[in-house]
Amino acid sequence: MTTRTEPARGGRTISIDPITRLEGHGKIEIFLDDRGDVDRAYLQIPELRGFEEFAKGRLAEDMPQITSRICGVCPTAHHMAATKALDDLYKVTPPPAARRIRELIYASFLAEDHALHFYVLGGPDFVVGPTAPAAERNILGVIAKVGVEVGTRVIAMRRRIRSIIELAGGKAIHPVFGLPGGVAKRIRPEAQAEIKAIAADAVDFATFTLQVFDDLVLKNPAYVELILSDAFTHRTHYMGMVDDDDRVNFYDGVVRVVSPEGKGVTRFHPADYLDVIAEHVEPWSYQKFCYLKQVGWKGFADGAESGIYSVAPLARLNAAEGMATPLAQQAYERYFATLGGKPVHHTLANHWARLVELLYAAERMKELANDPELCDPHVRTLPTQVPTEGVGIVEAPRGTLIHHYRTDERGVIEKANLIVATQGNAARIAMSVDKAAKSLLSGKEVSEGLLNMVEMAFRAYDPCFGCATHALPGAMPLEVRLRSLDGTVLKTVRRG
Amino acid sequence: MTSPPAPPRTVVVGLGNPLLTDDGVGIEAARLLAARLAGAGVTVAESSWGGMRFLDLLAGFEKAIIIDAIQWRHGPPGTVYRLPPDEAVPTVRAVSFHDISLGTALALGKQLGIPLPTELVFLAVEAGDVLTVAEGCSPEVARALPEVARLAMDQLAAWGALPEAGCTSSGSPDTL
Repeated sequence: MTTRTEPARGGRTISIDPITRLEGHGKIEIFLDDRGDVDRAYLQIPELRGFEEFAKGRLAEDMPQITSRICGVCPTAHHMAATKALDDLYKVTPPPAARRIRELIYASFLAEDHALHFYVLGGPDFVVGPTAPAAERNILGVIAKVGVEVGTRVIAMRRRIRSIIELAGGKAIHPVFGLPGGVAKRIRPEAQAEIKAIAADAVDFATFTLQVFDDLVLKNPAYVELILSDAFTHRTHYMGMVDDDDRVNFYDGVVRVVSPEGKGVTRFHPADYLDVIAEHVEPWSYQKFCYLKQVGWKGFADGAESGIYSVAPLARLNAAEGMATPLAQQAYERYFATLGGKPVHHTLANHWARLVELLYAAERMKELANDPELCDPHVRTLPTQVPTEGVGIVEAPRGTLIHHYRTDERGVIEKANLIVATQGNAARIAMSVDKAAKSLLSGKEVSEGLLNMVEMAFRAYDPCFGCATHALPGAMPLEVRLRSLDGTVLKTVRRG
Repeated sequence: MTSPPAPPRTVVVGLGNPLLTDDGVGIEAARLLAARLAGAGVTVAESSWGGMRFLDLLAGFEKAIIIDAIQWRHGPPGTVYRLPPDEAVPTVRAVSFHDISLGTALALGKQLGIPLPTELVFLAVEAGDVLTVAEGCSPEVARALPEVARLAMDQLAAWGALPEAGCTSSGSPDTL
């Protein structure tokens, strides 16, 4: 078992026992020097093991079901990436109605997930306040502020958006609709009327949510200052999927990368992802850190010379040239105009970017719900080709998600590779936590409010930590430990 | 002769991920109980979601048993805990990074007037490995399943949620 020893100031070394990495969920280790300044902060994340071995020998066509069960948070994203990998594996193109049904379900999933994040996870820091007591800094505090009526609307809307997924994909906790070359069932005209009504309401809801952000965040100069502050800023490359006109697309297209200056660096087809993305390993973490192969790994550094890139809402808006729906396009323009032009490097702007995407997802739901081809009964093109290799990419709520399978001629998996969204953000998240800790904690009495602000540096990405649901209430998902350089624990703070 | 009071609307929810070794113990327990409770009028559900999404599952029930894996290190893998609600409920922060804790979810339901169970019992099983992608629990955790099922059945009987022997069942389980 490897243990990292790292030279630190004063010639002393830091050792992090890798066994301690797996004790809980996320953990932030902050090392303080003799003067009480932050020497370095690390975010440590448990990683799932053994997926490749698990997949080997299974039928590729089972992967949409299997992978959707690996993650309790993003089942639809894994299901869709796997289904698209099967399209590619069998070289089969879904008919138009199937494509629309898939995208409708996917846009609904994105809308629900983004809305949940804003009101439940990201919102409390801004709506209630970043240094408010933890007991108030949650959805209950948000509702206390915005009113029970709004709270009821949020819950009801979320449930109705989910019902689209059931109407179109079947009532199941884990999605089962995706098949190579199409979907399992058509949408009946009687269901379309309901889907149309929900989608129209979703657009109103998204518009309303952007207004909430405007009123409670943008009209508060202290919050705007926090978003723009250097502690939460990194100049990296950005990656996201776009359509033929370089506009954001969650479901399909090519993947575009822009430089920290906003210039297009590459635009690649899913099948070519290995030419673009490489993974770096650090001895202190089990997580693999993705970077751009052609630029190279230059350590945890900002700038055009560093291959570090970012994914998820902030990155997607930076990597695109616009939004494909009218209201979202307006919101996109306002976002960049307010934050000083493209690209936006402020990590906390992820929260705003997420709401621009919420509006796009809702508008796209509405477009698809009203599409006359949605109810066409022809929803499957039967695969006839011998399978060899397939790659599927979607934009998950948390960023670019890649599934890659290689099979024998019967479709039995020989090799499977997943690059999940958070890996794309891993390096930038590590830098964000380190920088926020150094900027906010150095030379100060470390309070719970300040530690929450360090947490905000990674919460903005909504990172996925391979977290299962094995912690009942009472067990904490995150621990922040302050240590001296010799490793002595000075203070431990648990969330909750 | 007066008819006995209607049994309370009761749900048993197994939480977890059946593809992450011991994390699936709640799901396995739910499957075991679904088989035993066939025709008993108790709803048995499986879910990989906690938090906000969990509210949808609990809404409308009067009593609930929740079964999940836990990593407390208060005992070796396979140790079964029966947690009183006051120990489990008051935490007000995320359990998952992506959602709220059950305690917050319940408080939210109350705040918004959603009808939620008035009595909750948590059964938790100490898990060993929850990070390896594999089907089925480790042997030491799987050995806890009969005890979990017994505790759940005892609780259901204490609530009057089970039909008396010889009575006709009041409904079929609705496994989601």
